[in-house]
Amino acid sequence: MRSKLMLIGLFVGSVLCVLAISGCKRGAAAVSPEAAFGAYDTEPDWNDSTKLVNLGYQESQGKRVFYLYCVWCHADATPAGPSNRSNLTPTPPLLNDGEKLNPESDEFMQNIITLGGSALGKSAMMPPYGKTLSTQEITAAIAFTRAIAQPPYEKKVRPESPNATKE
Amino acid sequence: MGKLSDKLRLTFAVSTVVCVLVLAISPLKDFRAEWKHYKRWFVKYAQTRPDTKKLLADYSPSIDQVWLPGMNVTDRCTTCHQGITQLSLADASVPQPFRAHPPVPHNVRQWGCTICHRGQGPATEVAEAHETTLAWEQPILPAHFLEASCGTCHQAILKETPQLARGLELLTHLNCQGCHKLNNLDRPTLGPDLSSVGYKVTREWIYKWLKEPRTILDKDGNVTVNGYENEIEPRMPKFRLKEEEIRALSAFLSIQKARQIEKYSISPSVLAALSKKPDLVSQGEVRFRQMMCTTCHSLAVTRAGETKMIGGEIGPELTKVGSKVNEEWLIAWLRNPKSYLEHSNMPRYGWSDEDLYKVSQYVMNKLTDSDLLTNVPQLGAATEEETKTGKRLFAEKGCASCHALGGIAPQKDFGPDLTALGAKNASELEFSKAKIEHNLVSYIQAKLQDPVSVNPAARMPQYNWEQADLDAVTAALLSQRGPAPTSALQHLVVSRPEPAFQPVGAFAQVYERYKCYACHRFNGYGGTLAPDLSYEGSRAQKKWIADFLKNPQTIRPTLILRMPQFNMSDQDAAIAAEYLSLAVQKPDVDPASVDARQFTPAMVSLGKQLYEVKYQCQSCHTIGGTGGYVGPNLNNAGNWLTPAWVEAWLRNPQALQLNAIDPRRNFTEEEIRALTAYLMTLKSDIKPQTSASAANARLTGQGAGR
Repeated sequence: MRSKLMLIGLFVGSVLCVLAISGCKRGAAAVSPEAAFGAYDTEPDWNDSTKLVNLGYQESQGKRVFYLYCVWCHADATPAGPSNRSNLTPTPPLLNDGEKLNPESDEFMQNIITLGGSALGKSAMMPPYGKTLSTQEITAAIAFTRAIAQPPYEKKVRPESPNATKE
Repeated sequence: MGKLSDKLRLTFAVSTVVCVLVLAISPLKDFRAEWKHYKRWFVKYAQTRPDTKKLLADYSPSIDQVWLPGMNVTDRCTTCHQGITQLSLADASVPQPFRAHPPVPHNVRQWGCTICHRGQGPATEVAEAHETTLAWEQPILPAHFLEASCGTCHQAILKETPQLARGLELLTHLNCQGCHKLNNLDRPTLGPDLSSVGYKVTREWIYKWLKEPRTILDKDGNVTVNGYENEIEPRMPKFRLKEEEIRALSAFLSIQKARQIEKYSISPSVLAALSKKPDLVSQGEVRFRQMMCTTCHSLAVTRAGETKMIGGEIGPELTKVGSKVNEEWLIAWLRNPKSYLEHSNMPRYGWSDEDLYKVSQYVMNKLTDSDLLTNVPQLGAATEEETKTGKRLFAEKGCASCHALGGIAPQKDFGPDLTALGAKNASELEFSKAKIEHNLVSYIQAKLQDPVSVNPAARMPQYNWEQADLDAVTAALLSQRGPAPTSALQHLVVSRPEPAFQPVGAFAQVYERYKCYACHRFNGYGGTLAPDLSYEGSRAQKKWIADFLKNPQTIRPTLILRMPQFNMSDQDAAIAAEYLSLAVQKPDVDPASVDARQFTPAMVSLGKQLYEVKYQCQSCHTIGGTGGYVGPNLNNAGNWLTPAWVEAWLRNPQALQLNAIDPRRNFTEEEIRALTAYLMTLKSDIKPQTSASAANARLTGQGAGR
């Protein structure tokens, strides 16, 4: 009789305990950060306009820089209509050309945008933007390039660049 | 000390156990607090990184907070978001909540988090901080609309916030201020003044327009304007009008003839010479193109089975205008737009009788559609009752907010005040039976897309939005957060500069007549279609300005829309050139400071070499038919630009034009001199284009360009 009552007491106590503890867990992990924040901006996939690429803040700043400065020679369609790309020899790569641009390191990209083509033994038609754009803007433009690359850019498995030895 | 009964002993034992257990809850609860979990996780995570020591340098096991009393900020977000300022945690592979904040102009430690992101700063639980709770109704702002927060303080347009800028532009363009109170918007251009609309169009046309204001949304969601697909949304939204309301309004409007139009008779000799010509209409088309009406107006053009809208967006689309307007009205309008519509952006061209006749015949006979009014019943003359109802409806539906009509004043505060909409709590909003999430963002979007869905009695008309525009307007509305809650925040507001450019004297009249500001920008105000002319006096030579105004040429090879040929008089051109070259200068670029006579042939040849070999400027600029399309054509640079401007530009283009694409280079002073010397030798004479062949050549070029 006595032990039975004690057991009941213990049981009630532990139930109370469990309830109280579980009460404070309620609602935790209800927010998945990606869902709460969403994408800052999007860009249609250049090869398939039905697909959208999600861009973060930095990538979307890169998108802005790209459509102001780079689009004229690194895309086939520009806000003004025709592209200047076909006028140039050698033909500049399209910005989403992963095969050409994925092998290049971020440092190489930063350098060629900052210092221009001739400084790195490439075409002088690529002008330097180091005095026009801030370092952050150039980094953002590279982040945008990586975001829209086809095939997709993967940092870890970067193949060896033909330009790597020149640096 | 009596012996306790067994029963009492048992009760005591049980209650002791319960008491201990209950007391144990508190430390246990504390130990299991959500934020502590993230604290411990961060330590574990930091130990897996190579820079553990640096990551844990500021670590403390207690709650972190950013406390900025003046700004009313108490943000404990950094308690969990511990890597927010750690550069090495920027990578997307870092799990949230530890990822670093992307680099923004505002440091988290100085600004806190909730000023931009909203949410509940002092909260220490994930759900309470991010979501709407009973005690806190401002959830986290979705990242997609984050630019709204920039707009709360930055009232000038920032280059970093294109979405917000577009949203504010749309709010202005669609004249949302006509019905709603809003902050920080430009003065809109209103809809047409209707006080004499009876001279312009028929009652049947008004009926058709009210029923389907050009825009047709088919069941697949394709928007067409006059049957042509178009990216440009007409400003007139669709009102949900009943048949008898349309009849009444069309009756009321068709009798509006307050101001007699200026009737004009084309001289009989011109009529006699031209009216029998078989190619009258096509001659009119040529003149229409040559005068560059398409810079502002678009036309549907069918090429190879594909119909496209070609032309500008400043004026209305004109594909079927010949079936809309009366010929007498058209001639009066073309001669002097201001006499019919005071606030029109249409410039006043200089017309010869020949041109006027040719162009008006082209518009009335070629830009037509015999099917336009097929579904419209014969309405006959307006009855008195219809007119009376129409007048009442005109006021009730809020037409007067956009359209002036003698005697009917726009109602004050017709729609709700939206200046603090962005700060509203969900409980203050009316959702009716709409099956949407109960938060501010979905409310705004539902209301914009279908006003009736959240309020069956809504008077707001129906707009057709593209998703990007809908999001932009949402962001702009979210930025309207009313007056700053604290005086310290009030200090942070970066207000918009006041309009500075108010030309005076004779030029003020020229400026008004040709509506320079409809396309060009002066000191940050005006249109964006054409180049910014804030420093035109430093850039261009006076003679060139006068010549250009008389006979505008395309300077940028990719441009299709071009400056209209106004048939400007010599006197007007001289006044404009004089004023622009003297009064509209950049203070530190004095056109007289560099004398072109000092340039030597050696400098010129060095400059040519630099241009062609070292810097390869031809990648973007064209000289003599070869080169790129990006920068302006330099064939006539020697007559066009002042040497002082060229030198200043080569030193730092962005100092002269903020958004210049041309990058700033590392030229030496010698190279700058040499390049300027070379560019100043480039001169080519341009003959006026009046012949039909020239215009046709341009037309073909346009087609290729598109």
